[in-house]
Amino acid sequence: MARGPAVTAYKFLRAGRVGPFSGFQWPVDAWVESDARVPCYAGIHACRTGDLPFWLMDELWEIELGGDVADGARKLVADCGRLVRRIESWDAAAASEFASACLERVRTLASRQPAAEGHLADLESWAPRAGAVAVASLAARAYEASGGAEAYDAERAAQSEWLVARLGLGAAGGEPRAQRT
Amino acid sequence: MASELTCQELVELVTEFVEGTLSGSELERFEQHLVYCGPCTAHVEQMRETIRVTGALREDDLDPAVADELLEAFRGWREGQP
Amino acid sequence: MLAMPETEAPMPEESVASRDDVALVAALRAGDEAAFTELVGRYGALMLRVARLYVPTRAIAEEVVQETWLGVLRGIGRFEGRSSLKTWVFRILTNTAQTRGAREGRTLPFSALAQRELDNDEASVDPDRFIPQGERWAGYWASSPRRFDDLPESRLASAETFAAVKHAIDELPEVQRAVITMRDIAGFTAEDVCETLALSQGNQRVLLHRARTKVRQALERHLGEGVA
Repeated sequence: MARGPAVTAYKFLRAGRVGPFSGFQWPVDAWVESDARVPCYAGIHACRTGDLPFWLMDELWEIELGGDVADGARKLVADCGRLVRRIESWDAAAASEFASACLERVRTLASRQPAAEGHLADLESWAPRAGAVAVASLAARAYEASGGAEAYDAERAAQSEWLVARLGLGAAGGEPRAQRT
Repeated sequence: MASELTCQELVELVTEFVEGTLSGSELERFEQHLVYCGPCTAHVEQMRETIRVTGALREDDLDPAVADELLEAFRGWREGQP
Repeated sequence: MLAMPETEAPMPEESVASRDDVALVAALRAGDEAAFTELVGRYGALMLRVARLYVPTRAIAEEVVQETWLGVLRGIGRFEGRSSLKTWVFRILTNTAQTRGAREGRTLPFSALAQRELDNDEASVDPDRFIPQGERWAGYWASSPRRFDDLPESRLASAETFAAVKHAIDELPEVQRAVITMRDIAGFTAEDVCETLALSQGNQRVLLHRARTKVRQALERHLGEGVA
């Protein structure tokens, strides 16, 4: 099936290995092909390490991608994929620590830029009930409000680095390819 | 272009999302927002339910007098057939 | 290898005659009354609703439907099954309705009326539902909408709910009413509707969006009872 060398990447799924939009339940260690109905988007979606903060969900899996693999803005798109192993270190505790780390960085921001104090206060009140993925987005927006797109990107990169370190993740996505938008 | 869609921007795109006509990058931003936004997820669900309920509208039964007239017309047509 | 359905995109409708269609047409040609009654029962009321989009009164819409059935019978020998029977019948209907509508003084085609509707700028959701511009989280929901599927099916499928939806559709501007009727009630494809109403794909989508958002709002109000 694979046309090029197999590519290793990561994939977030809802509890029970369920895709968030397809509702499809993924098998373990079996190749899955996408039903290509929508051009320019159809395919198996997966994360490079930089994409992880955008898609945080219940379960994190290492996935092997096959066939044509393309780079989207915030994901990889491939013809087929196979779940290899669950990243067990991504659990509720890790998600909670992740949120705290985001909050800590926003605290740092607010200490440098008082204009961000309002964002910090809001985040502190929401974080206990909000999921990790929401906290990640809100923290990045707080940085964006203070320092524009660059600051947003930097915070997202920090979130990604935290995940890689805390979860012990290897590189993902192979060599970069032409973007498929 | 802002890094992420706001909720107010997302609701303008819901029909295109359900129809499957968002471009690849628009669809990516849309889905990425839904992953973290419960309220927008609820809004999309409301739209889906709306479409479902609309589709379940049952028309009133045909007036029997009208149905009779039609049957007469059918018989008339049938008579004229070779 | 398993195939995974990737997106929300709806499956395309059947575009050629089904086996059931073929059997029904054969029975009609043979003069089978039961087949005719079946066909009338299946599409008659929907045809009335669609005809009503083109002509000023229900009585005239009924005449259009009668005329259409005659046209169906006269033309049944020519039906080749290249489209579904439903599409074929409704094509005769919309042509008949259009002609009659013109005679009754409807001079503007849907495409012209559509332009008028499109010229109005509309927000899909009341801006008051979102945090205002200039505030910290501008553009976010101020309060969360409530899911409809959390409600018991008995409420969603009640006569009152259907009446509220029907009323909302009846109140829509003409072309929005036509588009949502044809798409969501009659089940036609986007392509069919664009062809029938002479709308571009883009305009059809915008008008469908506006129609659905208004109906959604009416449904939310009806089901909400006190929820913002």
